Amino acid sequence: MSGIGPGGFPADDDDRSGPDEPFGAQEPDGLGEDDPGDDSEELAATFHPIPGGAACYFAPAQAGVIRSLVGQVAELVRGDSAPGDSAFGDNSPGDSGPGGSGMGGAMGGWPAAGGPGGPGGAGGPADAAGGGLAGPGAAGQGGPGSGEPTPGTPSPDELERMLGLSGNVELPDDPVLARLLPDAYSDDAEASAEFRRYTEESLRASKINSARAVLASLPAGGGEVVLSESECQQWLRALNDVRLALGVRLGITDENEDLMSSASVDDPRSAYLWVYQWLAYLQDSLIESLS
Amino acid sequence: VSTAPVEVEQPETSQEARLDAPWITIVWNDPVNLMSYVTYVFQKVFGYPKAKAQKLMLDVHHKGKAVVSSGAREAMERDAEALHGYGLWATVSHDS
Repeated sequence: MSGIGPGGFPADDDDRSGPDEPFGAQEPDGLGEDDPGDDSEELAATFHPIPGGAACYFAPAQAGVIRSLVGQVAELVRGDSAPGDSAFGDNSPGDSGPGGSGMGGAMGGWPAAGGPGGPGGAGGPADAAGGGLAGPGAAGQGGPGSGEPTPGTPSPDELERMLGLSGNVELPDDPVLARLLPDAYSDDAEASAEFRRYTEESLRASKINSARAVLASLPAGGGEVVLSESECQQWLRALNDVRLALGVRLGITDENEDLMSSASVDDPRSAYLWVYQWLAYLQDSLIESLS
Repeated sequence: VSTAPVEVEQPETSQEARLDAPWITIVWNDPVNLMSYVTYVFQKVFGYPKAKAQKLMLDVHHKGKAVVSSGAREAMERDAEALHGYGLWATVSHDS
């Protein structure tokens, strides 16, 4: 488990100046601890409690990073989606290609495939975040059930979907999906398969719903986000899913929880580590706001 | 990481009822979930008071896992499903 220690991000303050400064304007080496006088206050936006919920101001680039990551996780969870379909493909900064999903296969398997041209590139973290989470098989997949829904008789697959039976009985190959949709029995494969068969589809749907709630309440251009308590719940789950996904892709373990402070600025993961850490503070501030 | 059995506060049930319900839900430690979040989820899912939720969270954190609920198998599967919904790593076991 991870704790929020002192001396991390400064608390959000009322300085709203410069919201048009791009999140990715700095090179990763500008994010280091040797540069305390920069605009990190703005970058470390956190929630504060309001009657009946919580609120937070997001700069455009911050909103872009969250929207991109939340959208990517939702795409990954949805699995068989058509690129560019629905809310997840549109309006996401960092999108590339006509499909609009921004999860091109070229970035699959990141960070291993990220290489030196990854987060350290000209676009910085905001751009980098547009490409990262797609796992094997998530991009360009046009399997059964993708594309526009056709009116008429539902296929057996669709019927099973309507009944909430995914048909999946195995732990997903992609480690991110395996973490988001884990086995329910550690020592009984048959029971795990049965559990998955009856619950995985609704678990996927609930994660996608949380992602939708975030995308619906967070304007692509940033701004003040005011959440009701139920929206806060959705945000908590979606932010947590993003952090779980980043944690897997970044190789976060109990032993290297402080990877962020030890990672070299040349490490292609450094920009993502920074985002990962910021999201922890953001999530923690949301929990605080609800208590 | 210790895998020693974790002390569980048994709900106030009769011996007979416990014989009928020897299933448990276990939450496993992971490096990503925030301590504050795990405490919050235990309160939310089980309605535990904050002190109990916090104790369970610390058990998970320090011992690697903790039993967070016990009862009928179906109920434990519902608990695990709810915990998966929050992104916690939960499994169901037979409390043998």
